[in-house]
Amino acid sequence: MHFRLVSKVLSLLSATVSLSMVWPLFWALRDGTGDAHAFVVSMVFGLTFSGLLFVPGWREPYKDLGVKDGYIVVGLTWLIASTIGALPYYLHGCTSSFAGAFFEAASGFTTTGATVLADIEACPRGILFWRSLTHWLGGMGIIVFTLALLPFLGVRGMELYRAEVPGPVAEKVTPRIHQTALYLWGIYTMLTLSESVFLMFGGMNFFEAVTHSFGTIATGGFSPLNKSIGQYGSLYFETVITLFMFLSGANFALHYRFLRGDARAFARDEEFRTYVWIVLASVGVITVDLLLRGNYGSLWQALRHSGFQVVSVMTTTGYITADFEYWPALSQWILLLLMVVGGCAGSTGGGVKVLRFLLLSRHSRAEFKRILHPRMILHVRVGGKIVDDAVVGSVATFFVLYMTIFAAGVLTLTALGLDVLSALSGAAATLGNVGPALGVLGPMDNFGVVSEGALWVFSALMLLGRLELYTLLLLLVPGTWRK
Amino acid sequence: MNARLISKVMAVLTGIVSAAMIWPLLWALHDGTADAQAFVISMVLGLTLSGLLLFAGRNADFKKVRIQDAFVVVSLSWVVASVIGALPYYLHGMVPTYTDAFYEAMSGFTTTGGSVLVDIEVHPRGLLFWRALTHWIGGMGIIVLSLAILPFIGVGGIHLYKAEVPGFAVEKLTPRLHRTALRLWGVYILLTAAQVVLLHLGGMSLFESLAHSFSTIATGGLSPLNRSIAHYNSAYFDWVITFFMFISGINFVLHYRFLLGNLGIHGRDEECRVYSGIVLFSIVTTAVVLLRSGVYSTVSDALRYGAFQVVSVITSTGFFTADYEQWPAYTHFLFILLMFLGGSTGSTAGGLKALRVLALARLVRAETVSSLHPRGVFPVRVRGRIATSEARASITTFFVLYMAIFALGAAVLAALGLDFITAVSGSASALGNTGPGFGAIGPTDNFSAIPMAAKWVLCLLMLMGRLELYTVLLIARPSVWKG
Repeated sequence: MHFRLVSKVLSLLSATVSLSMVWPLFWALRDGTGDAHAFVVSMVFGLTFSGLLFVPGWREPYKDLGVKDGYIVVGLTWLIASTIGALPYYLHGCTSSFAGAFFEAASGFTTTGATVLADIEACPRGILFWRSLTHWLGGMGIIVFTLALLPFLGVRGMELYRAEVPGPVAEKVTPRIHQTALYLWGIYTMLTLSESVFLMFGGMNFFEAVTHSFGTIATGGFSPLNKSIGQYGSLYFETVITLFMFLSGANFALHYRFLRGDARAFARDEEFRTYVWIVLASVGVITVDLLLRGNYGSLWQALRHSGFQVVSVMTTTGYITADFEYWPALSQWILLLLMVVGGCAGSTGGGVKVLRFLLLSRHSRAEFKRILHPRMILHVRVGGKIVDDAVVGSVATFFVLYMTIFAAGVLTLTALGLDVLSALSGAAATLGNVGPALGVLGPMDNFGVVSEGALWVFSALMLLGRLELYTLLLLLVPGTWRK
Repeated sequence: MNARLISKVMAVLTGIVSAAMIWPLLWALHDGTADAQAFVISMVLGLTLSGLLLFAGRNADFKKVRIQDAFVVVSLSWVVASVIGALPYYLHGMVPTYTDAFYEAMSGFTTTGGSVLVDIEVHPRGLLFWRALTHWIGGMGIIVLSLAILPFIGVGGIHLYKAEVPGFAVEKLTPRLHRTALRLWGVYILLTAAQVVLLHLGGMSLFESLAHSFSTIATGGLSPLNRSIAHYNSAYFDWVITFFMFISGINFVLHYRFLLGNLGIHGRDEECRVYSGIVLFSIVTTAVVLLRSGVYSTVSDALRYGAFQVVSVITSTGFFTADYEQWPAYTHFLFILLMFLGGSTGSTAGGLKALRVLALARLVRAETVSSLHPRGVFPVRVRGRIATSEARASITTFFVLYMAIFALGAAVLAALGLDFITAVSGSASALGNTGPGFGAIGPTDNFSAIPMAAKWVLCLLMLMGRLELYTVLLIARPSVWKG
């Protein structure tokens, strides 16, 4: 491991996180609320830390960054960002413990959107803006991590995102890593801006339009309102947000190609088509279920709420317009499954990812053929091209690991005293970076009710899910830290 | 498809099931109860059907068995046995509908142990004996299926010993099917006899000793008593049954070798070690949780009830000595997990099986290590043999399919009106051939109030779980039925 180089990269990261606190600081100063103090102190802390990290490695060239260093940088990035990002919450006192503050910050940077705040609207706007900004920064980090950094590192098990893998997989948008990042951020910023404009056009004030757009494009889910999007009861806002959540759950490389003039970029992509079908099928089944069980009186109402909730949960955003805690069992089960499926590869969505499920289902079909025709040579194809056996193998292993971590998480949470439904749905919602769950962690509840130990478990699940499991797990393997 | 061959095999099977009714008939005649008539009619019907099938299958050529035929034979075996086995229940009027009768029979032959009877003890002993006997016959079928027939077909990843390919071999005992079967049945009968003797010595009546032993060795779970083993409130019976359940969850080949004088075989077998490790971990943590939550006040009670329930669930038996729905949430989720894990291959237990769990864990470990060394080759060994890429694919696909069928099963059950926890635990329990679950189907409840359609879904899940998924899924493919 190149200690000096890793230190330099992390120094830049800490500085970025600390400096971005200048925006919520503006809001705080403008409103004259007490959180301004908390932001100034946090920035001083963060920048000092950054300076200390900068000293050992300021002369190291970036080209020496190896695979192991890449893992360490990425794994530590979210940990450090969450630690620094937690300071304002803790210093201002809107969370009672540091565990709560860390949870809130990790939930922000991993774009999960689960909160420990019981009364959100009681917090000053500076703090609320910071929550949404952590989503937005986290989302930017994810785009670079999955589409620019992982392919560059050539990380095993992440071939999914690598340019050489054919089909819907994130093609290298441009050969150079920082240029790729800039292009993708351009799209990301543009989507955010257009959503803000649409929301303001519909009458939302500037503050709420920006924070909700941050939460949408990053598929986060923090809202400055207690009842989330449901507070407005406005069809226009719900439609705009559903649309942008849906777009943010798609591969950003597709957006790029579309904007470059490839009109059929979306239609040709197999993962995107599967994504559309899953959304449509889930909306259909849930609408019928809601009507049959009498949750809503009209088809229109049922469709409106199931559409919003399905897109929100599948893209792992977590905005809500209806309390699905009271929905029938089938609807809840489908939402829980969607939490595990998640968005598309190369999007800001979490979960296992649609592409992995597409590969797994193709793989299973090939296995059936193999049993009936043992001598047949079979290939798994996506987008008309053959996917390497090693890639398919690592996708299957990823799914096994995902389920294992999920099960271990639930078991630990029940041991810490949570009931089965809350633990089960809470683990699925944090590992999948969704946010709201069921039971005591439902859409109208918050994570502040669980013990500090359980909060740390949830934070760990959020980070694991966001960093594609292996990246964080490898930090625990001694071999990673060796030279 | 070789229709004559299938017909002939079904004739033999039908004959065996019908002839087996002689034993409950003897109890009925001995007690002078009215169920004797039901058994006589069922036997006549069954033997007539057997005769017809035998006629249709004359001149069957056993030399031309294809994989496709084996699938059909195996899947039909359990269905046909249940169709005939349901007759006595239906004809005697023990259950109101044929659906209930079929469910009870399928639950028996797949050694699941879920029951639709509200008050078990009011029914005549002949019928109660038949319930236990269906377990025992089913268990015999499973032993042959898993150790002799599935290896021939080659499904589920534990098959790659065909043509001496190195992989996860179930040891070939003798090259010939029927000798294998006879030896293992010898072990099976010996274990049953030993348990009967031990229970009878402790003061259990011969009838109950037989019924409980049949149920234990087959890891079934149907008991002639309303309160299952809790009825006795005897530490001696609890521990005897715990021991035999545990033994029945281990590969019978190991028992056979042990009886031939290879006393250390269990300790040397990797799967047996993993299975024992999981059992030990579960017992200890359950006992600690039970003590800390104050459900039991003494260590010996916590161990006794904890061990019984853990072993009962992991071996997919389904007996109970306590209403574990009143236990802390940790044990609930642990039991759901154990339903998924299941016992060992080559035993009568259901679930994923310890060997697969071990293989999956090794695959994940190899994948993690290989992330650090993208060009390294990391072979996965199970039982000292390197897993081929074919074996890896089979095992991961099995896991994916198992989870997919579980998720779909729970969705369908929820759609049919079951509540969340009943649908989820019911699907896991039926697929793992355990029996009871949580919610409306907890240990003190029964399946009588479940909607008719849901019973058929549960029957299908039991069958799929029992026949290692592929067998049932493949017969849905048209190509299997072509000539």
